[in-house]
Amino acid sequence: MIRVTALTKSYGHFTAVDDVSFEARPGRVTGFLGPNGAGKTTTMRVMVGLTTATSGEVTIGGHHYRDIPNPGRHVGVLLDASAQHAGRTGREILSLGAETMGLPSSRVDEMLELVSLDARESKRRLRNYSLGMKQRLGIAHALLGDPSVLILDEPANGLDPAGIRWMRGLLKGYADRGGTVLLSSHLLNEVELIADEMVLIGHGRIVAQGTKEELLAGADHRSTHATSLDNAQLARVLTERGHAVVAAGQGLRVEAAPVEIGRAAAEHSIVLTDLRAAEGGLEDLFLSLTSDTQRDVLEGAAS
Amino acid sequence: MSAIPHAAAPHAGTADLGTIDLSSSDAVPMSRLARVELRKALDTRAGRWFTIAILVLVLAVQVIYAFAAPEDALAYGDFLGVAGGVLGYFMPILIIMLVTSEASQRNGLVTFTLEPRRSRVVVAKFLAGFALAIAVMVLAALIAVVGTLIGIATGAEAQWSVDGNLLFNGFVLANVIGVLIGFAIATLLMNTPAAIVGYFVYSLILPIAVGILGSLSSGFADVAPWIEFNTAQTPLFMGDYTPTGEEWAQIATSGLIWLVLPLALGIARLMRIEFK
Repeated sequence: MIRVTALTKSYGHFTAVDDVSFEARPGRVTGFLGPNGAGKTTTMRVMVGLTTATSGEVTIGGHHYRDIPNPGRHVGVLLDASAQHAGRTGREILSLGAETMGLPSSRVDEMLELVSLDARESKRRLRNYSLGMKQRLGIAHALLGDPSVLILDEPANGLDPAGIRWMRGLLKGYADRGGTVLLSSHLLNEVELIADEMVLIGHGRIVAQGTKEELLAGADHRSTHATSLDNAQLARVLTERGHAVVAAGQGLRVEAAPVEIGRAAAEHSIVLTDLRAAEGGLEDLFLSLTSDTQRDVLEGAAS
Repeated sequence: MSAIPHAAAPHAGTADLGTIDLSSSDAVPMSRLARVELRKALDTRAGRWFTIAILVLVLAVQVIYAFAAPEDALAYGDFLGVAGGVLGYFMPILIIMLVTSEASQRNGLVTFTLEPRRSRVVVAKFLAGFALAIAVMVLAALIAVVGTLIGIATGAEAQWSVDGNLLFNGFVLANVIGVLIGFAIATLLMNTPAAIVGYFVYSLILPIAVGILGSLSSGFADVAPWIEFNTAQTPLFMGDYTPTGEEWAQIATSGLIWLVLPLALGIARLMRIEFK
């Protein structure tokens, strides 16, 4: 388990991380979400002792990272997949890690297989790797020492959709076996798919934390995507009931819970072909919670 | 995902309380850290070929010397001195690459995550750097044998005895100082190109500048060996390879300025620097 307590990191007058406290628990994937420059990376760097905190502390499994002997055997870390010597082959990078941790070279082969880097790719130099391949190598490096805690900064960055699905399976499986996973992202969709719990950070401060359901519970306005064989009539019926309806793609976006649309459709014998809660809820929440820290003024948010 | 070996089966007992049991964990032994650092010095094209290039250059200079040098200067000791001179110029760069790649190639992020006690990494780098330097010196001494044999083949008299002062002061001590200079510049600048440029400014431009100033002012010429480390080291590889008491004092004072102080500041910086 990772416990961050009242962590603050200042650079001169700039406060990168401001009184941050949260926990990442065993058996759970915790998503650390925030816009670029929100303080995610700085927090993670403090966790592993690369940056010293101005105040507050982080413990991993009850210890300060610096006090963990041979830490690679307990904590798997991926802070930046590109932060490796560009002239080393993928296999050599893993071999150096394995040798430092005191692991047999067979472990390197296991990890290469786990992240689907084949023999030919493993012999290529890092400068010839795509970002996706670097991420896979970085994840292999983090898992080398069979750690019980994983700290991954933007691990899905550069992965294709299949790669993101693969990583989701890997991390879910890892957490199900009792591992602690903390992963950061600036993309809500990524974290939403993978994480059990979320910690939202903006401007160096925690703005919300909890499970997806807990976070959404706070946002009472619900919207739904609905498609039917007769969208025009469905829209009319729903409008009569006082729900805001707008056309969206093939169907309608309705400001009401899915059950309300289902009920209306049933009463008027309209055949629904698609009905689902719009995922916009969490995204709206994310944007609103971090809006004052966004670099770009969002259309709509400004009006 | 059956492919997750026992990778993702975290240690039993840690899941319940979330505490990690460290009782059976040992620190990474220093011997292993040093071995990894030595491997890192040679496992890239840059590192491997630079090392090979130094040795090839030593060989080339030996061959040229065997044909070009006067007959009374073709003893093994002469060849060893020449080899030491070539090494002296390039060995510090080998060390600079070993140290600065952590920041310039950014793998320091991983190095200092796998061993967060930075002082241990610094010690490991020193051990690896000296192991590498000793290996290169031994190989250079062997290449000097080849050079001597070529000299004999071209008609020189076989002379294998070596002045102990030459061997220790001119070859070993001068190169050990070079290695330490490499460490000092590397840790101070922590950037490969800047450190290599800095090294050549220190080793080539600085002595020339001091020489020019010395020729303009005899007062400065007297002071120079006390404050300029290259100038002060000259007695190590000249004449009888044996500095006088005053010359040793000059090596000590200028070494304090150009070696001890920068090295102390550089290591202090390495201990605190944020690897990005």
